[in-house]
Amino acid sequence: MTDLPGLFEVRVKARSIAYLYAVGASLGLLTLAFPHTDQVRDVPLIVLACIAYMIAAAIWLLADRLSAWHIHVALAAGTVIISLANYYAGPATLYPVLYMWTALYAFYFFPTREALAQAALVAVSYAVVLAIQETDMAVVSWLLAVGTPFVAGILISRLLGGIQHHALELRQSEERTRLVLDTAPDAFITLDRDGHVTTWNAAAERMFGWTKEQAVGRTMRDLIVPPEHAERHDARRLALVDSADPLATETYEVELIRRDGSRFPGEATVSKVEARGEAFVSGFITDTTERVRRQAEREALLREQAARAEAERVAEMVRGMQALVDAALAHRNLEGILRDLVTQVRGVLSADSATIYLADESGRLSAGAWSPAGDAVGEEFAIWVAEAREAMLAQGDLLIGVPLLAEGEVTGVLVAGANPPREFGSEDLTLLRLAAERVGLAIAHARVYEREHRIAETLQRSLLPDRLPDLPGLEVAARYLPAASEAEVGGDWYDVIPIAGGAVGLVMGDVAGKGLAGASMVGRLRSALRAYALEGHDGGRVVERLNRLLWTEAEESQMATMLYLIVDPAASTVRWVNAGHPPPLLRTRGGPRFLEGQASVPLGVLPFPTYEEVTSRLEPGDALVLYTDGLVERPGEHLDRGLELLKHAVREAPDDPQGLLDHLLATLVPPGGAADDVALLTLFNLPVPEEFNAEFPAEPESLAPIRSMLRRWLAHAGADDLEIAEITTACGEAATNAIEHAGTTNGSRFEVWGRREGPVIEIAVRDHGSWRSERDDDHGRGLDLMRTLMDTVSVEPGEQGTTVSLRRRLGQGGGS
Amino acid sequence: MSDLTQVQIEERDGVVVARLTGELDISVAESTGRKIADSVPSSARGVVVDMSGLDFMDSSGVSMLFGLARKVGSHRQQLVVVAPVGRPVSRVLQIVEFDRAAPVREDVDAAVTAIVTPQA
Repeated sequence: MTDLPGLFEVRVKARSIAYLYAVGASLGLLTLAFPHTDQVRDVPLIVLACIAYMIAAAIWLLADRLSAWHIHVALAAGTVIISLANYYAGPATLYPVLYMWTALYAFYFFPTREALAQAALVAVSYAVVLAIQETDMAVVSWLLAVGTPFVAGILISRLLGGIQHHALELRQSEERTRLVLDTAPDAFITLDRDGHVTTWNAAAERMFGWTKEQAVGRTMRDLIVPPEHAERHDARRLALVDSADPLATETYEVELIRRDGSRFPGEATVSKVEARGEAFVSGFITDTTERVRRQAEREALLREQAARAEAERVAEMVRGMQALVDAALAHRNLEGILRDLVTQVRGVLSADSATIYLADESGRLSAGAWSPAGDAVGEEFAIWVAEAREAMLAQGDLLIGVPLLAEGEVTGVLVAGANPPREFGSEDLTLLRLAAERVGLAIAHARVYEREHRIAETLQRSLLPDRLPDLPGLEVAARYLPAASEAEVGGDWYDVIPIAGGAVGLVMGDVAGKGLAGASMVGRLRSALRAYALEGHDGGRVVERLNRLLWTEAEESQMATMLYLIVDPAASTVRWVNAGHPPPLLRTRGGPRFLEGQASVPLGVLPFPTYEEVTSRLEPGDALVLYTDGLVERPGEHLDRGLELLKHAVREAPDDPQGLLDHLLATLVPPGGAADDVALLTLFNLPVPEEFNAEFPAEPESLAPIRSMLRRWLAHAGADDLEIAEITTACGEAATNAIEHAGTTNGSRFEVWGRREGPVIEIAVRDHGSWRSERDDDHGRGLDLMRTLMDTVSVEPGEQGTTVSLRRRLGQGGGS
Repeated sequence: MSDLTQVQIEERDGVVVARLTGELDISVAESTGRKIADSVPSSARGVVVDMSGLDFMDSSGVSMLFGLARKVGSHRQQLVVVAPVGRPVSRVLQIVEFDRAAPVREDVDAAVTAIVTPQA
């Protein structure tokens, strides 16, 4: 009881005390309404009653502003007024009730000490009034009269306090519940069976904008349920209320409307509640705007991540496809394309094996390239794919195949195989489909190109000399290397043309046009040059005539660079004309050097350019190297660098023609092959030996080479022009005899031997035929010539053949 | 090699002049002789074989010349050979004493004159 009064609000206390005043005043007036003695003085009682009413009214009206102290004063004042009324009313039984109420009030509303003080005041006032009115009253009666209201006040207040406490607890519980509900973030609403709101917490107020007062009694349909969902709302509510399950609970995702008309998503958890035999619905409603927003954000994030993953997957696929297409386009020769493709396919698809089947003209498939080495896989599957003309998987997704199409034709099939756990999927199919189109085209182009390339190369090769002529005292060697892959067959060509008098023409040229056109131009230039060279023209005129040919007859802008060299071994000279070609290299004992100077424009550039011969010494032991730019040109490097490398390579090369060329190709051509065609030609001016022994076919065509050889050899032996002419003539007669002796025997050969001892020249011609009688005029004339031109001539016929030996001492001023 | 000897034919004052260049050996001698003989019409007064441009000639060339001399002689035509002294051909002709068969002159003008203007 101690703290009970503290629980009451001042307002409640004030109003209670106002009631007390009003009741007291009414009771006072009531005593006047009944018959009463004269002792009762009406006027003061009425005045007191009026005062009491006025105080009651004042307290009522000012209840909100009063403090506890005011209540005390009001109660004390009430006790004084009761006592005054009691005094004026005289001894009456009614007033002790009023005193009792006052005490009761004090004990009910005030803490014990203050209540005792008020009760004391009541007791004193009552005692004073009793003392005045009934002086003869017994002490016991007096104590009884004063003590009764006092004790009754205590007892009744305790009784009431107990009841009040219970009610208070209930109220506090409700209050706490309300407090919890009001501070809850979720709206809490209860509805009766018909959907009228019976509870509406603070959160509901905040959430929906309707106050509790506005909401209670109205239906959800009026307040927060969107019209389009009203039917469903009713149906759900009734279903829940009528559910047999007393604890039925449902959760719904709902859309709700605020008072301002805006809508938001919410989640309602509704339960059936049964209380006092009545079923109703309680529900918590959560504003899920934020949750939905976060959910949406999360979903957006997931979608973005998925999209990024997809983009990366596509990018990966495109990279893979690009790798395949690059492999297809990086080469122009089919073999290179296929080889790279199978390697790339294995990498891009993480495949265990890859094979490309090519279709021939009748559509039959054969493996064109595969990786790894070993057997090609999936031939039957490839045939299947080619027939279906569609990318597909097989063998439990361990095989993937795609047709390679070009202009609607299946040019081949690409098959890849996987090892578990790797399996192919739709992405791999997509990738291959994308790549197959371009790869198919690249392969088709490469095949067409290869066909043309083969034709052009065949033509080109047919234009190069089958075999180089045997040249006395000279050794020539040549190489022609078609470009590795990129370039088409070039217009490179070379030629070696023996010219009357023992000279030899060397040609190295490069026609700018490639392919078939270039090759056919090479053919024309080659024939023309041979004809002009044999006519004995000066080198400059030969080249000028070739220029004329190209200028007038070639297609527009066709050009050619070329070198034309005339090597005269007897004179130990080389005369050369350069039409825009890289300079020839001369290797001497002192080291290699380029024959530069007088280089003129390429053929086909000007209508009437002048080409002039330049002469250099070409000593026995020297070598010439002719080449096309494919040997010395490197992408991104200056030509001088290539020339420098060539010079270095020539210096290091072996001292024989074949070895030299092999060394140059090995050193200067990149391992994968040259970017352009390479033609190489070398001529070695062999050292002149003191003694020689050469074998020739027994036919008239051998005579010119023999003369060439002899002229060169004699020149080095120190013979002058006349001596050379005479000795050559004499030997020619001996050789002619040898050829005649052989008759028409096929494959017969004869030997020419020569030696120099100091100034004495010895030459012998030995055949395998039979010596003819000297009755033959020509024969006799030949012998006459030999005998006249040489110092001594001896003829030794034998069973195995005839040997004619000739001797002459040089420096005698001509034969006798 | 079949082009070892080149033959150019011209006509001066009713005389056929055959100019040979290159080298003349047994491989081409016969064909060269026929080429020259065929170029001489019966109306021609004679034929001059100019060997000044020839780098080489052996006995087969000499035989060709003897044969040609006989042939034109049978047509009452005259053969004159041009072979300047010092050239390889001149030495050969001298050794085989070709001038017994036909005159040898230093140049074409002298050769043509020898035919057009008969020796007194």
